[in-house]
Amino acid sequence: MEKSVTERYLEVLLETKRLTKFFGGLAAVSQLDMHVNRGEIVGLIGPNGAGKTTVFNLVTGFLRPTGGKVLFDGKDITGKKPHATAKIGIGRTFQLAYLLPDFTVLENVVASFYLYPKSGFWEAIFNTSAYRKKEEYIVNQAREILRFVGLEKVTDELAKNLPHGYQKVLGVARALAVKPRLLLLDEPIAGMSHDEIDFSLRAFEKMRSQGMTILLVEHNMGIMSICDRIMVLNFGHKIAEGTPGEVRQNEGVIQAYFGSEYAA
Amino acid sequence: MGMRRLTRLTGYAIVIILLFLLPLFVTKPYYLHIFIVTLLYIIVVSSLRTISLSGQVSVAHAAFMGIGGYFSGVISKELGLTPWLTIPLGGLAAMIVAILIGYPFTRVRAIYFSMVSLLGGMAIVNIIRVCQKWTGAAGLAGIPPLSPINIPGLINIVFLGQKVPYYYFTLLLTLVSLVVLHRIEHCRIGMTWKAIAQSHFVASSVGINEAGSRVLALAVGCFFAGIAGASYAHYNLVLTPNTFGFLPSIFLVMYMLVGGRDRFGGPIIGTAILVMVPELFRGLKAFAPLILGAIMVIVVFLMPQGIAGLFDQIRARHGEVRNRKVPGSAA
Repeated sequence: MEKSVTERYLEVLLETKRLTKFFGGLAAVSQLDMHVNRGEIVGLIGPNGAGKTTVFNLVTGFLRPTGGKVLFDGKDITGKKPHATAKIGIGRTFQLAYLLPDFTVLENVVASFYLYPKSGFWEAIFNTSAYRKKEEYIVNQAREILRFVGLEKVTDELAKNLPHGYQKVLGVARALAVKPRLLLLDEPIAGMSHDEIDFSLRAFEKMRSQGMTILLVEHNMGIMSICDRIMVLNFGHKIAEGTPGEVRQNEGVIQAYFGSEYAA
Repeated sequence: MGMRRLTRLTGYAIVIILLFLLPLFVTKPYYLHIFIVTLLYIIVVSSLRTISLSGQVSVAHAAFMGIGGYFSGVISKELGLTPWLTIPLGGLAAMIVAILIGYPFTRVRAIYFSMVSLLGGMAIVNIIRVCQKWTGAAGLAGIPPLSPINIPGLINIVFLGQKVPYYYFTLLLTLVSLVVLHRIEHCRIGMTWKAIAQSHFVASSVGINEAGSRVLALAVGCFFAGIAGASYAHYNLVLTPNTFGFLPSIFLVMYMLVGGRDRFGGPIIGTAILVMVPELFRGLKAFAPLILGAIMVIVVFLMPQGIAGLFDQIRARHGEVRNRKVPGSAA
């Protein structure tokens, strides 16, 4: 049954319309139409250089699109600065485990509580009771998030001393601190050991059960099992879309990954 | 932990008490002069470090001292205002200029920021030099001294020609400035700056407005530089643009690096040593740049974290490492 326009509007959280990004003469993303519904976990896959991370950077404002639009919750957010996209509720992680290396794990998350609650300049300097209450609340919240993702045992370690897998999970914890309505995970388990993957998948399963809306980019097929829907990009174009099972059977996808001789 | 904190606080208290008693032992005006100048530069270098918390090393800080000094000097002289009012105004003037020229500068980071700040500083000094109508052809002379504090029957402090009142004024100003800068560093504002310095990608991904926060750091740092510069103007009573030029800005960075950027006390130690040592060996003044250069080289090679970082270095060598190994990690 076809859905009415209003129903669709209520469902869709993120939508791109003919989103395009050129780097010089190279189209990294070309005329991309995609959407993420509320409560959905969508995977974005594709060979190296397909434009997956560029899509993330366009949505979060780290890059300005050459053309097209990004709509979040029905509002046009095209070209907004990164801190502004965080403010409207888009949290993200990075492919390389970007973190605040000289802060402890707890400080990484505490520093990420910048928006909610927000403290003023003077109340911070004069250490008012309202400010102290906010800081106390933030530390409690940060500890809760770390428990949620499973990092509660390493809260006082310097972030740079963590193993790679933990650093990536810390990135997720940090993104949760902005209370995101949409979470973008850029290769959340790439380069992880087997144990670390199990560890991360546990955290993602929890997020899934809480009904979070997630868009993720990944090479590792292990994570595809938690996705509701998968989109495949190649050379900036969307070449397939569907459930994980459907995408696996898709000829275009097989061609893109393995070459035309493997397609039936 | 509580014990260590207590020892430290006692240490600070002893140093502060000694500084308050200093004019009892140091009676030679020239030595008091050195202390006054050192204290003012401690404010400037500490505020430079505050800016650097956000990942920006400004090579224009002396110029902002100059804005404070000239602004306060000129308006107090021309309009007859009391320096007690014009000194804070000098700080505000430096802050406003920092916000105006700082905002476009935040488009570049790290060493590129330092390079454009250098040009900004040179431009400021040249503007001061060109505005001879107010700033004087051969320097600004006739700046009024701090006005006397006179409460009839209680106290009567005259500043003109006296070192001791100026010493106490500078000491109080320095202590207040350091307390404020310390507080800013250790609340959320400082944490945000440190986050930006470590990764501007991460910082902006959690909603931190990078440009805004960096301009805030410049505004705070330059405010204190302006205050110190203005105080210097009403102490020295004469100003020349060269005091605030390119080389003095470089020296400020050097004081900070020699003292150590990682610790709050770094600029204090660095400035105290590098301002006082050359002054105390005045007979060797011709060799001062050589001595400073030698100290710089020694520090860079032997103590990359500066003199204040030396304690950390020693502690690390004796195996007192801050971080345990991660439990459950494979490696």
